[in-house]
Amino acid sequence: MQTLNKLTKRILAICLFALIATVTKAQETTTVVDSSLLNRVSTLEQQASYIKPRESHLMAVGLLTFGYVSNKTTVTYNGTSSVSKSNSLGDADHFEFSPMFLWRHGKKFLMEFEPSFSADGVGVNWAVASYYATPGLILRGGYLVLPFGTYNKRLAAGWINKLASDPEGIADASDFGVEAEGGIQAGTTKWSYDFALSNGMQLQPDGTTQFIGITDNNKNKLFTGRIGFLPLANSSIEVGASLMTGNVGDANLKINSATATLWALDLNVVENITPFQLNIKGQYSEAKVGNATYTDPNDPTHDYTFDNHTKTGYIMAALRPAFSQNDVVKNFELAARYGNYTTPANSLWGTKDNSLAVGLNYWMNWRTVVRFSYEAIKGTSTVSQNLGGNPGEITKSNSAYIQFCIEL
Amino acid sequence: MKPINNKKLTILSILVVVVGSMMILLNSCTASQKISMKSGAQLWAENCQRCHNTPSPSTFSPEQWETIGMHMQSRALLTDTERDKIVDFLKSAN
Repeated sequence: MQTLNKLTKRILAICLFALIATVTKAQETTTVVDSSLLNRVSTLEQQASYIKPRESHLMAVGLLTFGYVSNKTTVTYNGTSSVSKSNSLGDADHFEFSPMFLWRHGKKFLMEFEPSFSADGVGVNWAVASYYATPGLILRGGYLVLPFGTYNKRLAAGWINKLASDPEGIADASDFGVEAEGGIQAGTTKWSYDFALSNGMQLQPDGTTQFIGITDNNKNKLFTGRIGFLPLANSSIEVGASLMTGNVGDANLKINSATATLWALDLNVVENITPFQLNIKGQYSEAKVGNATYTDPNDPTHDYTFDNHTKTGYIMAALRPAFSQNDVVKNFELAARYGNYTTPANSLWGTKDNSLAVGLNYWMNWRTVVRFSYEAIKGTSTVSQNLGGNPGEITKSNSAYIQFCIEL
Repeated sequence: MKPINNKKLTILSILVVVVGSMMILLNSCTASQKISMKSGAQLWAENCQRCHNTPSPSTFSPEQWETIGMHMQSRALLTDTERDKIVDFLKSAN
């Protein structure tokens, strides 16, 4: 009997041990599975966090400028005049359809891409990646609008501009390069800086300059920089100074040592004088290309030179009763702009132009406008007679615009 | 239209400077306020109109305003404080 009891106890002990061992093993297995699952869940959470909407965001906006222009041009030389007329539904010089894609990741990275369809075909206005490095410093790279003056970078868009046309002489300045920019508070005033290094321009056989694209034609890079100052606490006035300089010569041409230096001053005043909002904007710039010898296109054996110095400036004023109690009246805006554009005398493109534009805008909402503009440009040719030009020839151009601009 | 000469350009420049100076004087009569002390609504009203009409907060969603804010900071060279306050205001008023 005692032997049976001992045997029973041993069997029970073995069973108990086996049971405990099994449970323990089962628990170990369960623990391993849980750990693996937790790791997997953690990984998925990280991935979800990486792509969750608050961190990464892609959006599309865009603008359209469409209109009608009627032009009459009269050319007078030695008492003889010729008249030409044209019109364009679409406004060939200003038609633009440009979607813009903004892709943000967190608060550090932003990619901006704006393709554009215009009378020139399909192009790209800018394609830039920006890194918001520290407060007051944004680093950018890609195809940039260079920081020369304020018109190209801030004011040229149809839904921002106050008149249907652009001021004469303000050429597109977009290039492949890198940029550092930012805004700095200094008490009640503000400063801004914007510096860029890019491939640069190439001097053309006629003395004009042209941006060359993604492959540089020399080792020199173009520097462009602007410093802005807002003296008032309410940011209603901004003045800026810009500089652009670099070698524009091509290593394989006789104009290889030419350097271009451009400078600009800009002004922006926005003053609310109830019930009106007054807007004054202006920019003056000069461009100087160093001494170079050019080849006469009419006689390749003949070289010539000229003082390659260009001046251009405009001042624009707009007045809108934006704070009127009348819901219709407050949407109207009057605008006027005076411009001056002087290109090098004795060059193939020498002229002295004066322009006056006036306009009436009706704002359908803050980013949609219908505008009626009229612009008169008078140009006096300063092309050298030796180059086949007609110095003193007067060209009068009168254009009437109806334009619709929207940004969505 | 007669071509503008240097004398006229000088007069025009002086006129612009005088008008600008008068505005500075007029504005200096009001109390200056540091940007850090301003509300997002005030900064929104002051900065957007420097280039274009002031946008309605309902134009974009809060997520879109974050993205637009970064884009506009680069365009208008706003300080980080200005950007954050303006975006926070637009999101809250959305």
